[in-house]
Amino acid sequence: MHNNLTRIQNVFGFFTSVAFAVAAVIAVSVVLSAQSPSASLQLRNVQVVKGRPHYYSTKREEYAHVKFDLDADLSTLFNWNTKQIFAYITASYPSSDPSTIPRSEAIIWDAVIPATNAPAHPNTYIHPSLSQSNARPKTKADRLAAQKPYPPGKEPGILKLASQKPKYQINDVSGRIAERANATLTLHWNVQPWVGALVWDSRGTLGRWQGLRGEMAGFDFPALKGTEVKKEELRTETGGERNRGSPA
Amino acid sequence: MDQLLDQARSIWEGEVDFEGQRLADLLTYALLSLSGAIAFLVGFSTQDIYQTLYIGLGGTALTFLAVVPPWPFYNQHPLPWLQARETGRVALGTLGLEGISVEVDGQRVS
Repeated sequence: MHNNLTRIQNVFGFFTSVAFAVAAVIAVSVVLSAQSPSASLQLRNVQVVKGRPHYYSTKREEYAHVKFDLDADLSTLFNWNTKQIFAYITASYPSSDPSTIPRSEAIIWDAVIPATNAPAHPNTYIHPSLSQSNARPKTKADRLAAQKPYPPGKEPGILKLASQKPKYQINDVSGRIAERANATLTLHWNVQPWVGALVWDSRGTLGRWQGLRGEMAGFDFPALKGTEVKKEELRTETGGERNRGSPA
Repeated sequence: MDQLLDQARSIWEGEVDFEGQRLADLLTYALLSLSGAIAFLVGFSTQDIYQTLYIGLGGTALTFLAVVPPWPFYNQHPLPWLQARETGRVALGTLGLEGISVEVDGQRVS
């Protein structure tokens, strides 16, 4: 500590130690905040049609288009160390030989739900307005509320989606997905913290963290539909992301 | 010119005395640990991680400010140098420095 340079080195060196220690304590402190997520996920409609993986492909595959209703309350997942939540819905169905091959899982919809203090990012999910009114915002407060990624007056993590179109049509590696039985829709999420570990969703209770409550939807994939399905019915929806239509 | 360079070197180096070094060391650990603890407690009680970030960074900046410059309170106990020997052993007697003994590796050299 005898001259300026050694003092700078010592202060900075100990600062890194303190920063690491504080970050470690923050990462551990999240076990103290109770969480009790709940969700009700219902199948609205599922259709299976033939399609091509891309325009120039000569391969014809079966694609499933799953519409769903979701009523979820993930707001307790937002503690002081939560940056954002990546929520996603998978359709899972058994393989042809369940004893040796595990179930297949395919994501049909996902959303990045930021915490209120997270900086704005174009990929965050914007919840559709609950009032269904498309009136233009009049006051500045209305405009700011409209930019929030969750309904006005609410907190982040509450999802109320009715007859939601999927983001992704799904198909199987075999090319055939029609008439498979015992499929389920399941809500999953990742809690992404500011510092600390990424936490996956769980069904069991762990200390003050309760598992997900609420029923998930079970269904069977229907038979292949012919050409009578209208193209508009099979559209996917990117959600309310600000950069709708352009990749991140 | 030499005097000017000496002054510049002294500002650049910013040396402090031994007691000042002990104090600077203590202040570094005390201030940084304290600001880290306060940062966490305030952030946790307000449930706002930005408070933790800003208090932690602010405390670190304060520590740099308090410890790095050679403030006068780090130079309160300067050690006096031995007086310069002018012309060898004979001069010691004439200067009244007989009492001073300089030892190097346990051997008395003057």
